[in-house]
Amino acid sequence: METPTNRPVPAAHAPKSKPDAWPMRLALGAGGIAAVSALTAAIVMPPQTVTNTQVTQQTVQQPLSTPVPASTIQVVQPVKYVQLLPGQTPPPGAQVISPADPTPRTVVVNVPAPAAKQPAAQPPAAQKPVYIKTTQSGTVVP
Amino acid sequence: MTVAAAVGNTTPQRTPEPEPIVPASFNATAMGGRFVIHLDVEWSGRQPVRGAGRHDGRAAADNGADAAADARRDAHVVIDRVHRWAERLTRHTETSDLSVLNSDPRSVIPVRPTLAAALLAAMVAADASEGFADVTLLDARLAAEEGREHTGASRISEWQILRRHRGSGIVRRPPGLRFDLGGVGKGWIADRALDLLSDWPSAVVDADGDLAVRTAAGRAWEVGVADPRSPDTHLTVLRLAAPAGGLPVRWGVATSGVSIHRWPSDGAAAEPARHHLIDPRTGRPAVTDVVQATVVAESALRAEALAKSAVIAGSVDGFALLERSRVRGAVLLTAKGDVLALPVTLPLLDR
Repeated sequence: METPTNRPVPAAHAPKSKPDAWPMRLALGAGGIAAVSALTAAIVMPPQTVTNTQVTQQTVQQPLSTPVPASTIQVVQPVKYVQLLPGQTPPPGAQVISPADPTPRTVVVNVPAPAAKQPAAQPPAAQKPVYIKTTQSGTVVP
Repeated sequence: MTVAAAVGNTTPQRTPEPEPIVPASFNATAMGGRFVIHLDVEWSGRQPVRGAGRHDGRAAADNGADAAADARRDAHVVIDRVHRWAERLTRHTETSDLSVLNSDPRSVIPVRPTLAAALLAAMVAADASEGFADVTLLDARLAAEEGREHTGASRISEWQILRRHRGSGIVRRPPGLRFDLGGVGKGWIADRALDLLSDWPSAVVDADGDLAVRTAAGRAWEVGVADPRSPDTHLTVLRLAAPAGGLPVRWGVATSGVSIHRWPSDGAAAEPARHHLIDPRTGRPAVTDVVQATVVAESALRAEALAKSAVIAGSVDGFALLERSRVRGAVLLTAKGDVLALPVTLPLLDR
């Protein structure tokens, strides 16, 4: 009896070699640590002190000159005017208003009446007709 | 108030100016006031107005009779349109779109395109005037007219309008909030009417004293600023010119004041004046040192809103507001009798 020959047995699939996971794990871990670090820094970063060099166009943020403790959370409010302390100089471009100056006013001019424009020595010229007139609306109440 | 200079000392040398336009004028009555269209019939570079039924491509009027006939036809087309707008925007008839809106008890109301556009213009006017041009003061105004005490100021922040398809809109407002378009409506109509006359390079639409003006290059309109103290005289004359060789220039000129539209008081000397300009901060007729304000701006709507604001705010705050708004000109008559102007007005003053 013939023994069965050693027929070639299909070889079992060799396990596929997987890529090494460690480099990716290291990369993801490092990225996560960086993200958490950035978020933490943004959350717990103390409010910055605004110096007078940051004043631009009359708009700054409080506080101005006193350092703020790192543990203090302050509400940041825009202010329009800053009083310079002795020795301080305004930043370039800032508008400086002296406390002694009067309140700024709008400049206007006097409008002479049309009749006053004729020289008195000359006979009055015939007035040019004006066909269009801007008026208040409504009718005159007696 | 600082007076900087006399007018005559600051006159720059100017090129020869064109003669003022002698217009063909067409009168009507709309929104309780007079309505006039002035057209420059001497100008030949025009096309017929849309809707006039004549689009035969004739570029210019061959003679004066043709120009006058075209002007009459085009003006009547626009006046018909103005009547239709006014019928929808007036508060003096119960059937107008505005009256229907005011009497509707709902808080969300659909409105037709004309009223939607005018209400949007009211929001533009309120924004341009920093809140002084306020269309929510109808109850305060009626109280002033009837001599009643009124409490409550502006409600301009309580309403809004949303545009829908084809120009219609939806108004959201607290029930009972009523609108008075008044001068805003007239300014809006004047601007839209001038749009319809776009084929006339020089034209003026006069909506009861508030003007929408277009000046062709090399032409000039002269506009008298009425003196409320004496009829048929002018505080000054504004010259609205466009430089030759350029594009047509568009203007808005409006006058507002407290000396004409007012109601007789009960005789008490201490009683404040009862007039139609309501201060939105108080809900009462404005206490002001400005008798009349005339403003020149880019549109009649904007000019009307700012002129009203200058009167309500008073001379100091009013001039400051006008300067911030970068108007093209402003002339104020104060209670002392002074006639003051922003320096930007000087090039417009007729000399």
